[in-house]
Amino acid sequence: MPKVVLAEDDKLISASLVQGFQEAGFETFPAYDGEEAIAKVRENKPDVVVLDIMMPKVDGIGVAWELKADAALSHTPILMLTNMSDSDTVSKIMEAGVTDYLLKSDQSIDQVVQKVKEVLAR
Amino acid sequence: MLASILLFLDFLLLAVVFFFYFRHALRERRRLQGVAKQSVQLQQKIYQIQVLQEIGERIGYSLDTNKITEIITNSVGALLDYDTVSFILFPEHGGEVTYRVHVHNSVPHQFLDEVKQKMVQATSLICGQDVNLDKLDERMTGTILDDHLTARPESYVNVPIIISEKLLGMINIASMKKFVYGVDEAGALYDITNQAATAVAKLENVLENEKGRLAGILYSMTDGVMMVDLQNQLQVYNPAVVDLLRLPVGKDITMFDIVDALAGKVDLRTKIDEAIQKHMPITVPEVTLADNALELTITPVRDRQGEDRGASVIFHDVTSEKSLEKLRQEFTAMMVHELRAPLTAVRWSSESLLKSVGSGKPGALEAEKIKQGIATIDTATINMLDLVNDLLDVAKIEAGKFDLNLQEYDLVEIIRAQVETFQAQAEQKHLALELIAPAHCRLKCDKVRISQVVDNLLSNAIKYTDSGKIDVNVSVEEDKKRAVVAVKDSGIGVSREDLNQLYSKFKQLTASDRSRKGTGLGLVVSKGIVEAHHGQVWAESAGENMGSTFFFSLPL
Repeated sequence: MPKVVLAEDDKLISASLVQGFQEAGFETFPAYDGEEAIAKVRENKPDVVVLDIMMPKVDGIGVAWELKADAALSHTPILMLTNMSDSDTVSKIMEAGVTDYLLKSDQSIDQVVQKVKEVLAR
Repeated sequence: MLASILLFLDFLLLAVVFFFYFRHALRERRRLQGVAKQSVQLQQKIYQIQVLQEIGERIGYSLDTNKITEIITNSVGALLDYDTVSFILFPEHGGEVTYRVHVHNSVPHQFLDEVKQKMVQATSLICGQDVNLDKLDERMTGTILDDHLTARPESYVNVPIIISEKLLGMINIASMKKFVYGVDEAGALYDITNQAATAVAKLENVLENEKGRLAGILYSMTDGVMMVDLQNQLQVYNPAVVDLLRLPVGKDITMFDIVDALAGKVDLRTKIDEAIQKHMPITVPEVTLADNALELTITPVRDRQGEDRGASVIFHDVTSEKSLEKLRQEFTAMMVHELRAPLTAVRWSSESLLKSVGSGKPGALEAEKIKQGIATIDTATINMLDLVNDLLDVAKIEAGKFDLNLQEYDLVEIIRAQVETFQAQAEQKHLALELIAPAHCRLKCDKVRISQVVDNLLSNAIKYTDSGKIDVNVSVEEDKKRAVVAVKDSGIGVSREDLNQLYSKFKQLTASDRSRKGTGLGLVVSKGIVEAHHGQVWAESAGENMGSTFFFSLPL
């Protein structure tokens, strides 16, 4: 069963995604802030990390940089979720070296799950 | 005998009559002669005045010394009897001395040489030193010289040409007749020259004043103003140009410096050429330099005859307008993001619910999930509505169209009601919530809106305090005729920099604040409400993690 760490501070959204992932057959580890996210990744060595950008303590981009800096974790694919579509944010996301990013409000849960599957398949 | 006596008497009578007649006639003639002489003098004086007036008028149009002196020379001829009139003019900046002679009646060369000598002498006398007239730009007009004549300048007058206290030259009239020039004639020549000099001095003065005024205006302008001619040479620029383009201070600026400062941002030369070609002003709306942004307006300059002379460029600082625009865009982006979050929650909850309901899996577990899903939608929808309401309020406040329903209420009652509403929430976080207030405080206010303000302050206090207590203090300041409400918490506090921007729409607190839900506009709206009541809002905090107190006052 593929392991997914989901970092999302909005409890409502997190719950929806967790449900979606679980139904798709992923073992899901939710985290509610950047620090927790890094800890959970180190602890569980997931196959993919799904990150929200806006989080307390360390934001999504910070977490991505942190993971890239860690040799053991730098190969883990990262999927960034956000509601910000402005060019500044996009370039920051790409610079952090994430595998792909999605605009939350444009996706259905199924589409997010689909994307995760795609990333896992690469 | 009698006949002879009678004849004699007749002759005597005749003689007497003739005597009286002749005397009368003589007197009459003398009188008429006197009148005639006076008349001539009067005529001369009138003519003189006319000529002087004309000189004044004609000189008024020209500052060309040559021309002026010509005018004088010509006019002199109209008033005085002369054989030659000459003038010398000193050059302004080096070069030759101008010497012109007009020969009215033929004279020998010697005559002219002597006149020249006399002029040199007079000039040396005035200057107090020997004047060198070796290099002369000589020109002669008038009748041909005749060296067979032996005439010498028996009478002459020298008058200096002084304009604005500078000796510019000398005028000389000479005649071979003796005693031609008396006080009157010298006076006339002096008057003419003086008149001319005064007119020129006045004109020069006017010109200096106007130049001075223009320079003053340009100097004080905050916009940069510069002018180039058709050869791209910088003609005029003011200190604002140096300032706005961040050019080095204290040295003379050239067109190179300016074009250099704008290199890569705008091709100034091309724009100038374009403006001149098209005979139309050109605007470059935004040129961004290292730390400021400028708007350029390039206008072609033409003279009175419509000939192209060059172009003027005006630099206008638009940095603050630009940064305001940037803030506005950031605010919009933030609000869009704020709405997307709850919308995503609604969308995904609906999706989950549809799946659960559609899958036909009954059971308590499913019912629980459905309940959760619907609760999510409910909460998210409320969040969005709150945001929309706040945005609307902010828009109303900014447009000045914020309506209040003012009635007399007991402020303490309003606050007490709010405090009671929040007791449950406070208890949940193990916070003590207390109200300290006088028994009553009646004043005119909008009950709904003031409740909104108290609601905002209390919800913030609870949100940002994890432990400790929250005090709500109501006090009346009789001397200042106001009631003050203070909400004091022991929460995360506010740093000094952030204190200033708390009530500003544009500046939101850092992303770490995001975890605590809210529209972010609560304080902005509260400020609008209180100020619409003619009250004030302010906040105090000792620093981060040292709690904060939020105040608002209402007039009694």
